[in-house]
Amino acid sequence: MLELRDVVVAYGGVKALHGVSLTVNEGELVTVLGANGAGKSTSLMAISGLLPLSGGSIWFRGERLDTLKSHEVVRRGITQAPEGRRVFGPMSVEENLRLGAFTRKGFPHRALKRVYELFPRLEERRGQMAGTLSGGEQQMLAIGRALMAEPKLMLLDEPSLGLAPLLVRSIFKTIRSINQSGVTVILVEQNARAALRLASRGYVLDVGRLVLEDSSANLLDNPQVKDAYLGSA
Amino acid sequence: MEFFLQQFTNGLTVGAIYALIALGYTMVYGVMKLINFAHGELFTLGAFIGYALLVTFGITGRVGLGLGLAISVVLVAGLVGVAGHVLERVAYRPLRHSDRLAAVVSALGASIFLQNAIMLSWGANYRSYSADLLPSVSVSIFGQSFPLLKILIFLTAVVVMLALWLFVHRTRIGMAIRAAAIDQGAAKLMGIDVSSVIAVVFVIGPALGGIAGLIVGLCYGQINFGMGQLYGLKAFTAAIIGGIGNIQGAMVGGLLLGLVEALGAAYISVAWKDALTFVVLIMILVVRPTGLLPERVAEKL
Repeated sequence: MLELRDVVVAYGGVKALHGVSLTVNEGELVTVLGANGAGKSTSLMAISGLLPLSGGSIWFRGERLDTLKSHEVVRRGITQAPEGRRVFGPMSVEENLRLGAFTRKGFPHRALKRVYELFPRLEERRGQMAGTLSGGEQQMLAIGRALMAEPKLMLLDEPSLGLAPLLVRSIFKTIRSINQSGVTVILVEQNARAALRLASRGYVLDVGRLVLEDSSANLLDNPQVKDAYLGSA
Repeated sequence: MEFFLQQFTNGLTVGAIYALIALGYTMVYGVMKLINFAHGELFTLGAFIGYALLVTFGITGRVGLGLGLAISVVLVAGLVGVAGHVLERVAYRPLRHSDRLAAVVSALGASIFLQNAIMLSWGANYRSYSADLLPSVSVSIFGQSFPLLKILIFLTAVVVMLALWLFVHRTRIGMAIRAAAIDQGAAKLMGIDVSSVIAVVFVIGPALGGIAGLIVGLCYGQINFGMGQLYGLKAFTAAIIGGIGNIQGAMVGGLLLGLVEALGAAYISVAWKDALTFVVLIMILVVRPTGLLPERVAEKL
């Protein structure tokens, strides 16, 4: 469904991705692991069309993606809940959600109903300014907002960052149910153990290069991964 | 009391003009974080297009006063809007990904270019809207008489601002404008075409500035190619006072500045009128650097 071929991204003269190739199949939940600065967010921003490629190409359902503008990428059915959530703080929860459905025609009744079912908390706070929500609620809003366009592929960038363990579990459960409803998901995480339990496959990035790719079960057993990303377990 | 009310009306009129111009600064700043230094010249352009229509062409004599004025407002807004769009295309869009300073220099260049283009087209002398263009009728409210023209101008400005507020808060494009002003990257992730948002803002802002130029011509008569400098600076001050980037702030800041100026001129000293504006600016910058109604971006991690 999605394929990155030898993708190179550079900030100024500094390369953040040195030729990354990866594939995601329809219906999959794939995780991308790596330390800070490994190029995880850069990869997602390149897919979303917010960063230009210096080399390589990105393909989505047989169509070249990296030559499209960001709003055209969203129209193809790819949305993102970015790192740091980036909700529109001075706007209400419901306005944030409606912005998520910006590429859709008319009032997004169906999508809104679905998001409120997934996150009843958001419905309770629909009129509240997004900036006044707690971190967990903002994360729900970021994910809900990315769902509003009824995407085929959803990119999630560190949804567990800064959240209490209990909340992380509930967010991850929701991500699983979103995936089971038919949305393909790429999950970028530092919380490797939790991400690998959720995903069927994983990629490991290190300083802009792909160093490992395997099934989640194998990655959980891989001594290299254990050392670097799972702690001494 | 009569003197006070007179000055108060004057203040509201000039304040409404400042507010209309300030909206252009603040909307462009909100979305692009760029001060459009050529905005004052777009205002001047509005005054001269109005002059061409009302005086040179004599439109009110041909189609009647009401219709002539309405056509003038629409044409001025439309043509200055187009000029704003061209300005964005030529002077700002190519520099979207360059250094911020490059865009500022380009803005200053565009300002000088427009000023000289207006001077070459209409000459360096003052031009005046004929005094008999509008009937000078006064209305009396609570036993005081007010010039109808000033009241109409104030009401027009209020209606335009209300329409803008509704546009920004109640329409899809308005929502996109607000989102792009808060976080351009996140707006792009929502599927908003930020380039078109910027283009829209660069039509609306200049159109409002152009209307303000026409109003100045009608209200004060005399126009000149350099008039955009002082009006632009005052309106920019109004935008800062209200909190740059904030639409309601520009309206409040403009009206406040107009009142301070008119009442200051009346009760303190006419000679100090312009200085007062900047005293207010400095005071606001010292006490509340973000302006009276700052963009409240409540971020919670």
